[in-house]
Amino acid sequence: MIYDHIMRTRRYVPYLFLLPAIIGLFGFRLIPIVWAFLMSFTRWSVYAPPQWLGLANYKELFSSELFWGILKNTFVYTAIYVPGVMIIGLILAVLVNNRLRGIAFFRGLLFAPVVTSAVAIGMVWGWILSPRFGILNHVLEHWFSVSNPPAWLGDRNIALIAIAFVAVWQRVGYQMVLFLAGLQDIPTVFYEAAKIDGANRWQRFWKITLPLLSPTTFFVLIISIIDSFRNFTIIYTMTRGGPGSSSTTLAYAIYQNAFIFSRMGYASSLAYILLIIVGTITLINFYFKKKWVKYKY
Amino acid sequence: MKKFFLISTVILLLIMSVVSIGKTVTIRYWMWDPSIRAKEETLIKAFEKTHPNIKVELTTMEPKNYWPKLSAMSAAKSLPDVFNMSSGYVEGWASAGLLYKLNDFVSQLDLSKYFPKLFSVTTYNGNIYAFPFAWVTTVLYYNKDMFDEAGLAYPTDDWTWFDFLNAAIRLTKDKNGDGKIDQWGYWFYGRYAHIEPWIYQDGGRLLNENKTRFAPDANAMETLKFLTDLVLKYKVAPSKKSMTGVRQQDVFPLGMAAMWTDGSWNIENNRRIIKGKFRWGIAKVPRGPHWTHDITYAWPDSISISAFTKHPKEAWELVKFLTGPAVPVNLFMAGKVPSYKPTAYSEEWLQKDKQPGNMDLILKLGNNPVRTSFTKGWSEWRGYGGAEGMGLNGAIDKVINGEESLDKAMEESTIYVNKVLERYYK
Repeated sequence: MIYDHIMRTRRYVPYLFLLPAIIGLFGFRLIPIVWAFLMSFTRWSVYAPPQWLGLANYKELFSSELFWGILKNTFVYTAIYVPGVMIIGLILAVLVNNRLRGIAFFRGLLFAPVVTSAVAIGMVWGWILSPRFGILNHVLEHWFSVSNPPAWLGDRNIALIAIAFVAVWQRVGYQMVLFLAGLQDIPTVFYEAAKIDGANRWQRFWKITLPLLSPTTFFVLIISIIDSFRNFTIIYTMTRGGPGSSSTTLAYAIYQNAFIFSRMGYASSLAYILLIIVGTITLINFYFKKKWVKYKY
Repeated sequence: MKKFFLISTVILLLIMSVVSIGKTVTIRYWMWDPSIRAKEETLIKAFEKTHPNIKVELTTMEPKNYWPKLSAMSAAKSLPDVFNMSSGYVEGWASAGLLYKLNDFVSQLDLSKYFPKLFSVTTYNGNIYAFPFAWVTTVLYYNKDMFDEAGLAYPTDDWTWFDFLNAAIRLTKDKNGDGKIDQWGYWFYGRYAHIEPWIYQDGGRLLNENKTRFAPDANAMETLKFLTDLVLKYKVAPSKKSMTGVRQQDVFPLGMAAMWTDGSWNIENNRRIIKGKFRWGIAKVPRGPHWTHDITYAWPDSISISAFTKHPKEAWELVKFLTGPAVPVNLFMAGKVPSYKPTAYSEEWLQKDKQPGNMDLILKLGNNPVRTSFTKGWSEWRGYGGAEGMGLNGAIDKVINGEESLDKAMEESTIYVNKVLERYYK
């Protein structure tokens, strides 16, 4: 009797232990995702009950010049950020993959910006890039005698690019660590065999390192793209999306609409556009994966 | 006998406590400034002493968390009984039926003890929905040392644009002769507190009379032309662009500009940065050519009662207490004016021994007619906080950065702002 009882209840025990995680997943992920989808068809100021609008938010969005500008900014940012962190991250990883004395120090140094508060980074770079008082323009003017250095974050044509560079500087350490792990996974026998066959450094990198690193590269590509679409803090601390809306990306526009303009419905529709874009890009990446990612040696 | 006495005392005490528990009402009070929590707690203790039947449950939260939380609570109709209210939100919250009408309570008060002009900002459809506890306005800050050095007289109450421009020209200097200005006469950009006070002092309006449409009148356009010309034509103020990287409120206290118009709450930041490095004062915003009388751009921070409260009377007792004579001066940041007049006019608030020394000017401004441009959707069309680059703010910045003409920027702004306002006022 008792034995049967235990056996019967036992089957539920694992679920009991999983319950906190499941509650978290449903309560803080799935339900908000579904809720946001519903809200994207409403006008919702949070403090007043939502009003059904049908597709009006999406119509407004597609007919708004501001939205297309923001979308363009988002892609420009991604086009700088993703190749930036991946190429520089790989180069750095190859460099710190050497067995030199004190290499741990350099690895730590390059990783430091990743663990530094983005708010602090935004502020310090804000000072560096300040047109009148910043060190960058001081150097440009006095060492390189540039007569009219740009206003960087104050210039609507440059602000977004400047932010993207700072973001690359901040995040590249993370990509470096991932690549480094990938590099150390490659068995040394391949290199030794290639050396005996007379392959030079470049050939070894091109023919062995890159193909064998491809699973890592794929992973880094996916997370870098997602990372770039989600960037918020650096924009908030450096330009607040300005001048005008020249450095406003989709993620930042979602924040503005939701928490400054109290337009939760419109912000939700922006969030769904973001979801569709990131989802599509990720799907495309997975589709082309088999063409270049090699899991077997 | 002894035992009987003891037992009866215990029973009596029990009955008394049960009776008093039955009568005690708990009021939940939310405020947005955790930095003064300890002082606020002392104040609440004093309140509970004089109102033994009311218990106050205080919650403090930073504004950036305060509003999202409070909004979420309002959706569930479970707002705290009493909470801090911002002038920009009164209309939205009142029209959503979230705030308790205070008319009956307020009519019992002696309003001459307050600054009654400010109630216009917390009134919606003829009803008062929030009671001011403090208010702020905008003033012209000026660097006395720079004025002395240039041999100029300090700004007076009847200063005009002409006087101002004349001073600004003489205060703009290239001190080290490198061909670059290092002391500007004035500093401003598209920010609300930099622009609106000038428009009002020229008798102008940005919005139509019932504040449902963006329609800058001729006086407002004249003001915008004058202000943007300070950068473009007279070159007595820097472009927004060239000041990137410096916190806007630090330009004046760091001595980069001789004059600046912004909110009175900046007195605190000025004191902290300037310390004793130079002498400075505050003055009225200069009069435009179409000035007929002083119009003050001022707005209060207020306290509201939830429309869902079960204890409106007790809630009002707390509101009255938190806006009245019991509130000590040290609860107000320098430059924020207590809405209870006797406290505001006290020596302790005026701080004549500290710079700027003439804080009584602010009190005078509080008795003028008050005008604001707050509407629903204000932060969106005006361009505020995390969206500072947008809306009217961004448009004016474009002009002073030399990227667009004023006429074109205002044309675009009118379309944009009215699109926002149309969503709220059909």
